Amino acid sequence: MARYGMALNYKNCINCRACESACKEENGVLLLKDHYRIWVGVKEAEGQFPNISIASQTYHPSQCQHCDNAPCQQVCPTNATYYGKDGMVMVDPNKCILCTYCINACPYDARYVDQRTMTVDKCTFCSDTRLAAGETTTACQATCPTKVRVFGDLDDPNSEISVLLANKEYRQVKEHLGTKPKLFYIL
Amino acid sequence: MNTISLKKLFNFEKTPLNVVMAFVTVALVAAFFAGAVNYILHGHHAYNVTRQHPWGLLISMYVFFVVSSTGLCIISSIGHVFGIPEFQQIGKRAIAGAIITISSGFAVIGLEIGHPVTMLIYNVLTPGLTSAIWWMGTLYGLYLTFICLEFFFLAIKENHTLSKIFGICGLLVGLAAHSNLGAVFGFLVSRPSANGVFYPVYFILSAMITGCYLIFLMYGFRYKMNFPEKVAIMLVKLGKILGMLLAVLIFFEAWKILTALYGDMPERAATILHAIKHPNFWFGELTLGMLIPFVVILLSNAKAIKATVYASLAGMVGIFFMRYGLVHDTLLYPMTTLKRAEYELAPTFVEYFPSATEFAIGLGGIGLSLFLYYLADKIFNLDETAHH
Ligand code: SF4
Ligand code: SF4
Ligand code: SF4
Repeated sequence: MARYGMALNYKNCINCRACESACKEENGVLLLKDHYRIWVGVKEAEGQFPNISIASQTYHPSQCQHCDNAPCQQVCPTNATYYGKDGMVMVDPNKCILCTYCINACPYDARYVDQRTMTVDKCTFCSDTRLAAGETTTACQATCPTKVRVFGDLDDPNSEISVLLANKEYRQVKEHLGTKPKLFYIL
Repeated sequence: MNTISLKKLFNFEKTPLNVVMAFVTVALVAAFFAGAVNYILHGHHAYNVTRQHPWGLLISMYVFFVVSSTGLCIISSIGHVFGIPEFQQIGKRAIAGAIITISSGFAVIGLEIGHPVTMLIYNVLTPGLTSAIWWMGTLYGLYLTFICLEFFFLAIKENHTLSKIFGICGLLVGLAAHSNLGAVFGFLVSRPSANGVFYPVYFILSAMITGCYLIFLMYGFRYKMNFPEKVAIMLVKLGKILGMLLAVLIFFEAWKILTALYGDMPERAATILHAIKHPNFWFGELTLGMLIPFVVILLSNAKAIKATVYASLAGMVGIFFMRYGLVHDTLLYPMTTLKRAEYELAPTFVEYFPSATEFAIGLGGIGLSLFLYYLADKIFNLDETAHH
């Protein structure tokens, strides 16, 4: 079994949001308020003209971290949120009772209520759409013009992501919470 | 148990207070059903909850009701389980109140949980044993069963041994369920302002205070402020207990706030500071919910029963704000994971105001409680029966 994660060369991100659109298209995410599986966090440039710090302006693409120790899974009363194959955190809409406890418990704002099924939805790393069809990339990765995203198996030492993480410094988000997130921001 | 005709059931003395109560009850029950219909027609769209604020007034009201229920159960156990003689008289009335309030709570939460039937099925088939909600829900189900049996053996088929056994079971399971409800918030590692030991313990404490307020209100209404001596003696003692509990609560809250603010920990300090600056806190929670009742009890040495009844009314309004604050303050801080200026806007504290449907269902639940209490008072003899 693989253990999928994603590394993000976030400094290459140009905030084009092609990934947001590709995700919506690929996974049929509704075009409604609050309906997004992935997003790009913007940090505007700091400083006053003429001393504006270009380097301080950054874009952080983000989504569900597929935590190895996922708070959303721990709090789910019916195990509707479960660890699926290849280390993905998944939601079974048939078991979800819409208590929305997981939305409160996720430290990353990764979950929302899908208005069609009235159950909780979030990023699946395209496992039921692309990976199930034999693809090896996610929609956001495939579409990214500046190759920000590297998706792959963290347990395979020869995978592109493992090699990248072995050779580069990276940081993670809120790892002090013990969630063991699987998004890696390459510095 | 009294056998009475339907006509007698809805016949009551037309004093101004009774008429007002009847009017309030009918209006609130009507609001509950109107809200429920609107929810059935429009689903969660009828609520103002969002991705950033997924819990709202209905969760607060559920907590409000189950806190009331647990509180009544704990206070009734002083006489009924622990055998303190003056308190034995409240047993039946308090347990009836406990059953009624938790039932209202279940009615409200039934309209909040998106798929209650799925819940009943998969709570059993694939229980999430690490989920505080699972434990809370399951234990509360068990608690309701126990206190119903307790009431049965108190009021319908009198049997002191059995009622006491079920009373003890109800009390223990109720305490476990209630502290688990605190843990629903306390376990949230994602929310530094709620995370920690505070809520599970505070829930038990504030339940006992709620129980006292409700006993004062029920007895104030029952005796129209003319208390027989036996009741007056009990209420003075209860007032002293309430005063002490309030002192502990004020102490607790003060330290919770100070620890939250001290050192300016990210997320936690800003959230608590924002929360305590809001009138919901300093007027609702603090002044109405704690200070007014505390001062009344302190100044009168708990002897001013009538004033304490009025203060209990203020106290219950304060308890409402405590429950509202519990949910809203937990969700205040925006989960702006890396979204530091999304769509050119810097993140602000999350805003939420309940929709009309949420108000109708949430406050309408109080109408359900009042109506059921009226029925229980008519059908069962909730006063102490003479011991043989
Ligand atoms: S597609 Fe790539 S460059 Fe464009 S916003 Fe997404 S991560 Fe950034
Ligand atoms: S990021 Fe949130 S939704 Fe995703 S696995 Fe972690 S806790 Fe769950
Ligand atoms: S909303 Fe659904 S997935 Fe989330 S905790 Fe509740 S049952 Fe589990």
